[in-house]
Amino acid sequence: MFNLIRKDIMLQKTTLMTMLPLLILLLTLERSFIYIGLLFSMAIIMNAFASDEKSSINTLLNSLPYTRKEIVSSKYIGALFFVLTIVLTIFTGNLIINREITMWKELGLIICLVMIFISFMFPFSYKFKSQYLLTAVIVSFVIYLLIVNLFINNLNDKIRELVGILLTLQSSQLYLLIAFSVIALYVCSWLLSIRIYSKKVF
Amino acid sequence: MENVIELQHVQKSFDGFQLKDLSLSVKKGFVTGFIGGNGVGKSTTIKLIMNLLQPESGTVSIFGLNYKEHEKEIKQRIGFVFDENVFYENLTLAEMKKIIKPSYKNWDDNLFAQFVKTFELPLNKKIKSFSKGMMMKASLTIALSHHAELIIMDEPTSGLDPIFRRELLDILHNLMQDGEKTIFFSTHITTDLDRIADYITFIHKGEHMFTKEFYKIEEEFAIVKGGIELLDRDTEQEFVSIRKSNHGFEALTANKGRIENIFGEMVLVEKPTLEDIMFYTKKGAEQYV
Repeated sequence: MFNLIRKDIMLQKTTLMTMLPLLILLLTLERSFIYIGLLFSMAIIMNAFASDEKSSINTLLNSLPYTRKEIVSSKYIGALFFVLTIVLTIFTGNLIINREITMWKELGLIICLVMIFISFMFPFSYKFKSQYLLTAVIVSFVIYLLIVNLFINNLNDKIRELVGILLTLQSSQLYLLIAFSVIALYVCSWLLSIRIYSKKVF
Repeated sequence: MENVIELQHVQKSFDGFQLKDLSLSVKKGFVTGFIGGNGVGKSTTIKLIMNLLQPESGTVSIFGLNYKEHEKEIKQRIGFVFDENVFYENLTLAEMKKIIKPSYKNWDDNLFAQFVKTFELPLNKKIKSFSKGMMMKASLTIALSHHAELIIMDEPTSGLDPIFRRELLDILHNLMQDGEKTIFFSTHITTDLDRIADYITFIHKGEHMFTKEFYKIEEEFAIVKGGIELLDRDTEQEFVSIRKSNHGFEALTANKGRIENIFGEMVLVEKPTLEDIMFYTKKGAEQYV
């Protein structure tokens, strides 16, 4: 199975090579690296996902000595690898360029957010193909705007506030709880994707 | 004799098409040609054999093992060639090899290099720039570089020029020399089979018509030509199907000896080609529906 992850890294090599320097460059200009980290991680992870979506590639992977379980699992483990790469780059970038040590809470937040997004996007993409993700994102954005305008006018402020609270919390128990819930969500999504993928016809 | 592939009472249905109670076996150490028209279930059968599809009922066993418990073990021993490009288009053959090599325990770099040399394949050109023939050579190179015991090919000769088709058949012929390998391949270019196949498996509309040794087909089947006055309700039963014209009839029989007994010298009995057999069987199947 690690061969499959290695394959994904190999395929994303050029993307990584262009995106990581870009990420470091952005760090010098912009301080809100949580959003940048989230965006970059999602871009690479979904790019890796999309490159294996063609039915001919699925034929190849399923004809090679791998099980469907392994093929799905490689994507979930690979995603963690990619987000860690991004987080590590941010950490070193900040250390070298801005001469500051990034708080582990902020890095943890990036990882948690990516894991939450992936938990929804992977099963969705296995079921419908990732090209429909854009439609899904636009639809959810419209719903988000509607909510902001009709019901909670200050949703953005509230989210910002929430992030602020999350980052300054003192109770480590609460952090553990959050981490645990995110991991639980990720594992459930993983199992769901295996279920969906093993029923697929190419 | 040992069976490498065994399908038993396999059932699989799609919209408007189904495999009905399909049972077939492929013998170890031989080349089996898998024939049938377009859309009769050849690719579906191959996908079932590769575990790309699972049957609704019935069993598929390869090397005597089932996919449920031995999936990886089985696939380690299979080399596959599909009629479409299944590689990453934007990679070169060298990069593709790097991806596939670690999947197989028995990957042989020397063998790979040898095939690349024989086929004159470019290692550093993107696969999407390959021609149909080069694509096939590349697929074959990958399929043959891990000492697979069973080689499964879906329409490997379609879209290839006649010269390369012959080369391909020669390569396959050479592979068979040690008697350990088994080749199963589908095709609708039946003349390819004259050169290489030991067994012929014929399916029509999702049903297994027969699996026979090649030479036996010529012994059993025959094209019969004669005057129309020879045909009546009883004699017509002797044929798979009949084509009538003003000059007489032409028909296929599955029992050459019996026809010779019945008609004797009154008819002309000829050797059928596989195409004849496919054509008349299709016609016969349509008549009795």
